[in-house]
Amino acid sequence: MIDFAWKIGGVAGFGIATSGLVFSKIAARLGYHTFDYLEYPSLIRGGHNAFECRVSDEKINHLSDKIDILVCLNKETFEKHQSRLTNKALIIYDEEEFSVEGQFVKIKVPFKKILNNLKGKLVMKNTIALGASLAILGGDIFPLEEIIEEQFRKKGEEVVKFNKRFAQEGYIFVKKNYPELIKNYLIQRGVNQKLVLSGNDSFSLASIIADCRLYCAYPMTPSSSVLTTLASWQEKTGIIVRHAEDEISVINTALGASFAGVRAAVGTSGGGFALMVESISFAGLAEIPIVIFLAQRPGPATGMPTWSEQGDLLFAVHAGHGEFPKIVLSPGDQEEMLQITMEAYNLADIYQTPVIILSDMFLSESHKSVEREFVEELIRNYQIDRGKIINKDHLENVGNQKYLRYQVTKDGISPRLIPGTPGYFYQANSYEHLEDSHTTEEAAPRKEQVEKRNRKITTYLKNHFHSPKIYQDLQKAEIVFVSWGSNKGAVLEAQKLLLKKGILTALIHFSYLYPLAKEKITSFFVPGKRYILVENNSWGQFGKLLLQEVGIELNEKILKYNGRPIWPEEIVDYVVNS
Amino acid sequence: MSNIRDFDGYKPTWCPGCGDWGIGAALKIAFSQLGFTPSSIVVVFGIGCSGNMNDFLNAYAVHSLHGRAIPNAIGVKLANHKLPVIVVAGDGDCYGEGGNHLIHAARGNHDITVIVHDNRVYGLTTGQVAPTAQKGFKSKSTPVGIIESPINPLSLALTQGATFVAQAFAGDTLHTIEIIKKAIEHKGFSIVNILQPCVTFNKVNTYDYYLKRLYKLTADYQADNYQIAIKKTTEMNEEKFPLGIIYQVRRPTYTEQLTQLNKNTLTEKERYLDFNLLFSDFV
Repeated sequence: MIDFAWKIGGVAGFGIATSGLVFSKIAARLGYHTFDYLEYPSLIRGGHNAFECRVSDEKINHLSDKIDILVCLNKETFEKHQSRLTNKALIIYDEEEFSVEGQFVKIKVPFKKILNNLKGKLVMKNTIALGASLAILGGDIFPLEEIIEEQFRKKGEEVVKFNKRFAQEGYIFVKKNYPELIKNYLIQRGVNQKLVLSGNDSFSLASIIADCRLYCAYPMTPSSSVLTTLASWQEKTGIIVRHAEDEISVINTALGASFAGVRAAVGTSGGGFALMVESISFAGLAEIPIVIFLAQRPGPATGMPTWSEQGDLLFAVHAGHGEFPKIVLSPGDQEEMLQITMEAYNLADIYQTPVIILSDMFLSESHKSVEREFVEELIRNYQIDRGKIINKDHLENVGNQKYLRYQVTKDGISPRLIPGTPGYFYQANSYEHLEDSHTTEEAAPRKEQVEKRNRKITTYLKNHFHSPKIYQDLQKAEIVFVSWGSNKGAVLEAQKLLLKKGILTALIHFSYLYPLAKEKITSFFVPGKRYILVENNSWGQFGKLLLQEVGIELNEKILKYNGRPIWPEEIVDYVVNS
Repeated sequence: MSNIRDFDGYKPTWCPGCGDWGIGAALKIAFSQLGFTPSSIVVVFGIGCSGNMNDFLNAYAVHSLHGRAIPNAIGVKLANHKLPVIVVAGDGDCYGEGGNHLIHAARGNHDITVIVHDNRVYGLTTGQVAPTAQKGFKSKSTPVGIIESPINPLSLALTQGATFVAQAFAGDTLHTIEIIKKAIEHKGFSIVNILQPCVTFNKVNTYDYYLKRLYKLTADYQADNYQIAIKKTTEMNEEKFPLGIIYQVRRPTYTEQLTQLNKNTLTEKERYLDFNLLFSDFV
């Protein structure tokens, strides 16, 4: 079985993230499953950047706590990460730059000399490192050369050739000088094609699949790559991407477009989301569909911009003054991000209300290899459902002389007419309104409209709420983990490790977070069983929500709030030591 | 020309003598003279006495949050650039709460028309200062007089890239109709600041006050000269009020520069289906 972790570190601003992703893509092209993670400070230059990629011939859901190959582009990389090295770990570094202590297998690659000889720029050290890594892992250099060609093709044959030479130098040096140490970890496997997707990539791709036509955002880590990815697809796909002046303008631009008839979405992190909150309430009252992508990072305030936390769950659930229906979803991994995002656009249209997708830095920025076939099947099975959108013919057929935008209905959902339809008009009103959309302050219609909007919640819980997913056998399990969102991978991996120790566990994983259908949840919780809540925050926010909405209180908790995602081994340690 | 009465909604609740009556009538007449119907336009209202026009005027409309009418209007225009989009807002809404949006809408030359009711006071909240209030103006929120100097909306819009900047007076409906029509016909970002007496909460800037200090730009005025226009707008600082089109130039609008919209509006475009092309970014 192949299962190893490769890590590269160096000074921020010198291409660590880019070359790390190239490594993931090479492994995926060769047929392996990958999972990667980037650590970086909120600086453009000067800090320490590190990228790690776990590669396996079996499906994986998280990183590994041990590092097998560490590429040190500077001394700090070794110092910071040596505690995680296995005792047989390979260290790739340049002995001219610094020395490495300890009983590790040392692969001394003359980065500096190669750079000087070829008159290369400092970032090209990464290319040498990738060549060296492929050689020691027993891989072919071809996929790396292929990627270099794709990257630099536009700049001409000379540039392609020049960059390839750095890869070749690193590759050949290791082949020549360390033949006895070469592993067979990256031999081509003839299996299905994979896409290397981050959570943000998955949201972006799913948005196009779901026919989102306007995306509006203000850059904010860790949501920004959705803005840049979708912006880069404008010409191809016809989507309009607006980078507006602030998040208030962001959401109101999207609401304007949605009112006018197109699917629209916005993306942000906690601070930007806070600015949007008044307008979320507006969308709730005026009944305008909107998808809001909220990639959490540790707060409060500016917090720790480039790190991970699940601290905004209750904020998202309660965002907006007044009472109105709102749907909060939180995918557990890249596959669920694709699926849930596509569904979110349908739900926003069906319920004509805000739908929030909760991600976090860990899910947003980590890449995972996803089977291409899986994505293609999602696309094949996806039906766009725009809900109760009606047209002129429909209104004339039912003999409806007057169109009622906020018509009181049994399911709480009113027929929606796209502005510009001849012969009619109405307003999307931020004031309480009558069925015909005119402002009202009368008691009876107010009560009627409140109840109409509330009925959308009942309809959703009946028709579209998804019960939590259960992993492993709930009946047999001695320990049941309860978690949500991006913790899924850590718990799944922990379950594997615990099973090896003979401990049977199950996971109740929630992706449809709010509102919660009590009767579809309570049966999973039986007296006498040991439940452990696992969350990446300090309050156990989902535990509070579960108590508030379902009346279930979980007292045993694994909570992590140091800005880092939860690791499988931390869950295992807790279980073993408690 | 379409029927003016088609635009009649509820009977307005504005105070007798309020400048809003004149602006409300001017808008309806301008719409009908332009051949619009309530179904062929989108009007986005801010919050305030002006925004309350939402119920008095029939049209596809958004009654937005306070300050947010402009970004809503931009969104409507991006989705369906064939629809004329008009913002009706007050000075507090457009120059205070939503001031940032005004600047960026002007910069982007978004093809929307912003009609600002400038009465220099907050009427709906019963008489606090607006950003356009004269220095020293006493109000409920500034009992000893406002410390700040007034914002100059015309200079602001002009220097931030607006391609149509005009001013009108609510007491002169005929002139206001003409200006509104030209603003809507203008391709690009247009703003009309309408001086509007508030008979209830502003006893300083009355009809009389304005009549003594306003004048109309003459036929030989060169509206395409930026330097002259800048100078004109700064006359406001000395309490002189030029009326008419102070500045107008033609520059590509935001949506004209979006190649996605070359053929169709965003609402009409075909769904994109060539997902394989996007996959190549991820292998």
